[in-house]
Amino acid sequence: MSNPSEINGGSAVAMIGKDCVAIACDLRLGLQSVTVSGDFEKIFQYGGNFVAFTGLATDVQTVSTELRQKHALYEMVEERSMEPNTAAHLVSSMLYSRRFAPWFVGPLVAGINSTTGEPYVCSFDSIGSMDVSHDFVVTGTATNQLYGMAESLYEKDMSPEQLFETISQTLLCAADRDAITGSGGLVYVIEKNGKVTKKLLKSRQD
Amino acid sequence: MDTVIDQLPKSVDAAAALPACVNGLPNFEFPSIDTPSAFLRAFTDDASNPDVPIKPQHGTTTLAFKFQGGIIVAVDSRASAGSWIASQKVKKVLEINPFMLGTMAGGAADCQFWERWLGSQCRLYELRNKKRISVSAASKILANVTYHYKGSGLSMGTMVCGYSEKNNTLEPEIYYVDSDGSRVAGQLFSVGSGQTFAYGVLDQGYDYNLSVEDALTLGKRAIIAATHRDAYSGNSCNLYHLKPTGWVYHGNYDAAAEIWRLKEAEGSFNDIRTK
Amino acid sequence: MDILLGIRTQNEVLLITSRSLARGISVLKSDDVKVLECNKHTALAFSGEPGDTTNFVEFIRANVRLYGFQNKQELTTHAVASYARKELATSLRSRKPYQVNILVAGHNGTPELHWIDYLGTNVTLPYAAHGYASYYVLSTLDRWWTETLTLEEGLELARKCIDELEKRMPIDFKGCNIHVVDQNGVRLHE
Repeated sequence: MSNPSEINGGSAVAMIGKDCVAIACDLRLGLQSVTVSGDFEKIFQYGGNFVAFTGLATDVQTVSTELRQKHALYEMVEERSMEPNTAAHLVSSMLYSRRFAPWFVGPLVAGINSTTGEPYVCSFDSIGSMDVSHDFVVTGTATNQLYGMAESLYEKDMSPEQLFETISQTLLCAADRDAITGSGGLVYVIEKNGKVTKKLLKSRQD
Repeated sequence: MDTVIDQLPKSVDAAAALPACVNGLPNFEFPSIDTPSAFLRAFTDDASNPDVPIKPQHGTTTLAFKFQGGIIVAVDSRASAGSWIASQKVKKVLEINPFMLGTMAGGAADCQFWERWLGSQCRLYELRNKKRISVSAASKILANVTYHYKGSGLSMGTMVCGYSEKNNTLEPEIYYVDSDGSRVAGQLFSVGSGQTFAYGVLDQGYDYNLSVEDALTLGKRAIIAATHRDAYSGNSCNLYHLKPTGWVYHGNYDAAAEIWRLKEAEGSFNDIRTK
Repeated sequence: MDILLGIRTQNEVLLITSRSLARGISVLKSDDVKVLECNKHTALAFSGEPGDTTNFVEFIRANVRLYGFQNKQELTTHAVASYARKELATSLRSRKPYQVNILVAGHNGTPELHWIDYLGTNVTLPYAAHGYASYYVLSTLDRWWTETLTLEEGLELARKCIDELEKRMPIDFKGCNIHVVDQNGVRLHE
C-alpha cells in the first residue's frame, strides 16, 4: 500500500458506441483504508474532450489543472477547438515530459472527432504510452475487474442508451470487487450531435 | 502388473488429514529452518511485502457488548486480500455451541480452525464433566493455544461470548482473545480494521439499560458505520443476540441497502452525494 | 498524533484542535494553539512534522497577506486552499517536502471547509479530520451531522467527538481548542 497509485484508490472506464462514446469513473477518495470523500470526480471536460484521471489524487489535481491551462492556450492560439486525438497526444507528451519523475496517474481520453464524427477512446500508462482502442479502455485500482466486466458485456455499435447501461454495469460490478473503488459513480455519454448527458450512479456506500 | 488403481491407497485415512495431537494440542509441521516465523512472514505478511505468494484474508469489523438483556454480537461479512474483495459473504460469527459464539477477525483460516477446534474441546469438557464449560474456561483454552503459538505467525482477534454459571446463576461474559496471547474480560469490545469507526457510534449510543430492540439496532448501526468508512469492511451485517437460553440469530442485512435506508430514516450519512 | 477536526455548520465552520504539544516523551505545552488566522475570513488548522508546520502555514499566511496588500482584494477561502495545495504539491517532489496536513476553514458568504493532506490532495468536505482522530470521529459525524446545524448544535457535536477521542485515544491530548470561523472572522470559542 505504499504504491502511490493505490493510496487514494479509484477507477475509470471509457467505451465506444455507435456515433457516441461514454466515460465513467467512481467517486471515492480514500487515504489507504479510510474513505475521506465520496465526491471526488475524476473526469474533467476540456471542450468536447473528456479526460479521466485515476491514481494519486494530488497528481490528478495537478495534471488536470495543467491540462486545463494547456487546452485553453491551444484554443486561443489555434482559434479552433481541440480534437480528441490531439488531446490524447497532449496528455501523452505532458506525461512523457516527466519521464524520470512521473505523475502517478492513469488517464483516459474520450471524445468524438468534430470533422470525421468518429468516436475516440484512448488510455495511457503513467509516462505517456498511448493505447488507442476501438472498443473500450479501463484504468485504476479495479483494472482487472473492469476488464473482466467490459470483455463480457461489451458489444459493437451500441446506442447511447445501451452504452450507458453497459458502462454503468461495468463500473458498478467492478467496484463491487474492489475495496478502494466505489462510493458512487459518474457517467458521461457524449453523442455525435454534441449532446452530453451526465448522470450520477447511486452505488453501494460500503 | 500395477494399474493406476492398484497404486491408490486401499482406504482413505481421514484422521491422517488432521494434525496429530501432542500434549492435547494439534501438532503442526514447521519449516525446518532457523526462524520459522521469519520465513512465514516473508511468505504471508502482505503488510511488509505486497507481492507475497500467500495472502491471508484480512480486514473486518466485529463487535460485542453486554447490556441489560444479554449480549449483542454483530459483524460485517467482507474478506479482502489487499484491495481485492475475496468474498462478500463470510460468516464471521462462529457458532461454537448453542450457548457460545466466537467472532472472527484477522486470518480467516486461523480463526475458523481454532474456533472449530475450541468447539470440540468444549464438547469434550461437557461429556467429561456433565456440565457446560464456562466462557472464562473456554476462552482460556483458546488463549493458551494462541500463546503457545505466539511468534509463529498466527493472526486472530476474537471475542468469545456466552453465558456461564456463576454462583448458581447464569452470567453473560465476553472475553477478547488475540494471537498475542492476550485474554481480556470486558463489557464492550470491537475488533478489526473498522473497530474505531464502530466505537465512534457504539460509545456514543451505548447504555447498559438499552432495550433488546434498541441494542440490536445499535450493534447493527455501529457495523454499518464501519462499513461506510472502512474500505476493508462491508457487504453485510450478521446480527446475534445471546440470552441465558442460548444465542438467537437476528439475520443478515445488506450494508448497501442499510446505509440508504438509515440515511432516509435518521437523516444521517450526509456526506453521500445524491445529485 | 495531533487532533485536527473541522465541522461545517449552517453559518460557520468549527475547527477543533488538540492543546497538547509533545516532543519525545515530554509534553512541552498543554495550551498549544494549532490554528492560524490567514486573513480576516480564513483560518488554517495544521498538524504534522514539527517545524514544517509553523513554517509552512506562516509562509502561506505571509503570501496571502501580501496578495491582499498588493491587490487591495483579499483571497477567498477557495483561493487560499488552492494556493496552499499547490505549494504542498510542488514541495512533495522537492528534496525535502513539507510534511504538513491542513484544514482550511473560511466564510465568504457561506461557510466552507477544505481538507488538504501533505501530498497536496485538496477536497471540500462538510466535516473532516486528519490523523488518527479521523478513525474515531468520522463515523460519529456520519451519524449526527446534518446540513442545517446551528452553532449550538455544532458545538454539541464537537463535544461528542472530543468525548469519543478522550475515551479511545491512547494518549492524553490535554483537551481541545474550538475555533469558530463565521462572517465576523475567526475567534477562539470560550
